[in-house]
Amino acid sequence: MENRTVSKYTTSFGLALALSSLLNAVLVVVKEKSPAVQAAMKSLTGHHWITHAAIVLALFAGFGFLLAGGRGGRGWTLPVNRLIPTLLAGVVVSGAIIVGFYLLAD
Amino acid sequence: MKEIILMTHVAFGVGCVLAAVWVFVDTLNASAANLKRIQWVSRAAAVFMWLSFLVGGYWYVVFYPADKTIILKGPWPFAHEYFMETKEHLVIMLLLLATYLPVAAANPLAANRDARRLVLWVAALIPLLGLMIEGHGAVIAMGVKVALLAKQI
Repeated sequence: MENRTVSKYTTSFGLALALSSLLNAVLVVVKEKSPAVQAAMKSLTGHHWITHAAIVLALFAGFGFLLAGGRGGRGWTLPVNRLIPTLLAGVVVSGAIIVGFYLLAD
Repeated sequence: MKEIILMTHVAFGVGCVLAAVWVFVDTLNASAANLKRIQWVSRAAAVFMWLSFLVGGYWYVVFYPADKTIILKGPWPFAHEYFMETKEHLVIMLLLLATYLPVAAANPLAANRDARRLVLWVAALIPLLGLMIEGHGAVIAMGVKVALLAKQI
């Protein structure tokens, strides 16, 4: 019988990718709409984009390892046929938010 | 030097796109024979993307403000207002996808159809997003060019 499971890191970092992509898009809207947030982000590293990228990458790593360590170290489980649409939705919706924001709202 | 840094950024980005296409094609024909190669090329995609991101990030922070001023005074201000603003944030998602690719490719792909489907989706997203971002870069470069040309006339 064919093996249909993937490693716990595949699931956890797949979910982390979807989640941190969405937070990437939310952070774009928040910092562009709030000069105070953008100034605070700039003051942290000298450039708002460096802080932005560092936050998203830290969220990706944090969520990935956190979800992998859940359930007593066995990691969160999700069938691959649900992981793929979750990951796709995260990337497509985030991309649409970013493109839509700069195209229409900003 | 500035131009070499910029072209290195683009070249590493192209390397990532080509590596992801390679992973996609090899995964369509995954077997015990090409499993190691898929894993190595997926790691190469991630390394290329990280190099492109770091070099491009350095260029963006250090050199781009001068280009931005030129673009905004020229006939194509949208090259910054839409294309650069979008590119600098979409590229973070591309970095996450390229970093995730070797994680997904570490599964036993030859014996696991679901893992193969996952790798195919991730490997397909990278060139789609990557080519879109490369196109954005071309528009930004053109934004500088038309602004300088308009100044000369």
